Amino acid sequence: MTDTIGITALIPPELIYACGHRPLDVNNVVPESSLSPRSKLCAWTALWRELILTGSLDIDSLVVVAGGDCHNALVDGQKVALSGLPTHYFFYPFDTNLRYLYSQLESLEGFLGGIKDQEMFKYICGLKKKGLALEKQRVNDNARASDVFSALICFSDMQSNPYEFENLIDNIPHTEVEYSSRIALIGVPPIYPDFHKVAEEFGLHIVYDELPYEFIRLGGNDLQGLAKSYKNYSFAGPINNRINFINNELQKRRVDGVIHYTQFACHHTLEDEIFRDYLDYPFLTVQGDLPGPTPEQLKLRLEAFSEMLEIMA
Amino acid sequence: MNIGLDVGSTTAKIVLLDNNEVIRSKVVSSHNWKELLDTGMDEYNIVSTGYFRKKVPHNAAITEITAASLGVRYHIPDAQVIVDIGGQDTKVIDLLNNRFMINDKCSAGTGAFLELAAHYFNIPVESLGRLHSRTQRSAQINNTCGVFAISEMISQLVAGYTMEEVIHGIHEAFAHRIAQMIPPVEQVVLIGGTVLNTGIVDAMEIILGSTVVIPPNPQIVNALGAALYKNKSIPFKNTDILEQNPR
Repeated sequence: MTDTIGITALIPPELIYACGHRPLDVNNVVPESSLSPRSKLCAWTALWRELILTGSLDIDSLVVVAGGDCHNALVDGQKVALSGLPTHYFFYPFDTNLRYLYSQLESLEGFLGGIKDQEMFKYICGLKKKGLALEKQRVNDNARASDVFSALICFSDMQSNPYEFENLIDNIPHTEVEYSSRIALIGVPPIYPDFHKVAEEFGLHIVYDELPYEFIRLGGNDLQGLAKSYKNYSFAGPINNRINFINNELQKRRVDGVIHYTQFACHHTLEDEIFRDYLDYPFLTVQGDLPGPTPEQLKLRLEAFSEMLEIMA
Repeated sequence: MNIGLDVGSTTAKIVLLDNNEVIRSKVVSSHNWKELLDTGMDEYNIVSTGYFRKKVPHNAAITEITAASLGVRYHIPDAQVIVDIGGQDTKVIDLLNNRFMINDKCSAGTGAFLELAAHYFNIPVESLGRLHSRTQRSAQINNTCGVFAISEMISQLVAGYTMEEVIHGIHEAFAHRIAQMIPPVEQVVLIGGTVLNTGIVDAMEIILGSTVVIPPNPQIVNALGAALYKNKSIPFKNTDILEQNPR
């Protein structure tokens, strides 16, 4: 029987598909939500928790990323577990330990009932190659960042249907992009669904989305392969590894400036000072809270950043 | 002639610039911005800024951050950090590092906070500076929330502090709130209508420990910057930023 498995952060979707189930990234429905969550710190976790507890999200079980994500997710995941939904806790190793991650993947495989379709590993790998090609397209100014982002952000679960998803990514239009500055967007993804479009209106071409890029660059064809790749999931490891990785990507993509999106009450906000010290680029920090259209105050910041970069150039 | 039109949340300002000299300026309330435009003014010459910059006639519209940078550099070419205290938000522009911060989630460091306080005392907001100077003693006011600060003001009045001492405390709370956004530098330039309040300026000088400079007509600096925009001045320090950050 195919179950829908909710995931709270990056869990190898190829493993869930190979076990005969479909993943549903519970974060991907948050930006369109109009719920007002009670007992809220970070809106991302509070909203997926509320959506699950109110039955608005139809999932059969939940995999909580409890190590390598945040304590908000861990607590909200337990609230969901207390409601009776089968819940599994997955821990990324902070020290990139291969054996530890392999054991976590084994345990997850057990929770999912074991691998049933080995071929799904290869199929998902093929999709991720298409994702990387899309990424190259926007870096080479041949695709709008808003179109590419809307596809890449869904690589965490392939919209629970990889075959239909493949059709969607095959139809991302090739468009020659005009812009004034090339931007890297680091941190958690913005909770505002129109953020990339708004940035485009101000001439900012986002050529790097930190977290969605993790979704397409990591993969594997068996548990060992997954462990070798996902141990490098930059969000879960030491920040100096992440800084080195980001710096390398920024150079490759020839960015003019960095936007750090932070979420209200998210511990990643504390990383802002570190990034400002170690990423040698013009730097803008923005913060969001509840989902909805990008607020005017945030638009002002983007516009001013765009003006500043243009004048500096 | 270049025209800078700054229509902000509270007031609207215009500056007419000819050969880099200010030949006229005027301030009215935001809702009366049309009074600033004479017949015969060519929209082609207008650069707008402020909250309503895209809602008023303009040839180009620029953000208050760029406008403030240009306007301040006109008077103070070596300006380091600008603090623009507006009616609804406060902007800190670090010209040395090409960075800016905007406080708009909380009213405690904006003109709106002072209006709230003046409204409570039933006095004009313009009189706050004068009342501040009547005392050196401060009633301590919580500096984290503008709305809760009003209930704290009441508590301090009940505790026996005078209105002047409470106003002194309000200005210090205001300055503390803004100081959190300001990098440590030798000199800070204050602009915006709120800096006409001498109580704020005094409190900022003490709390920052930096030299506080106020350009002539601080309320019209952004309109001046907008007028200068056509001259394509460079407001930000155009250097290799790679040299500035630690490794």
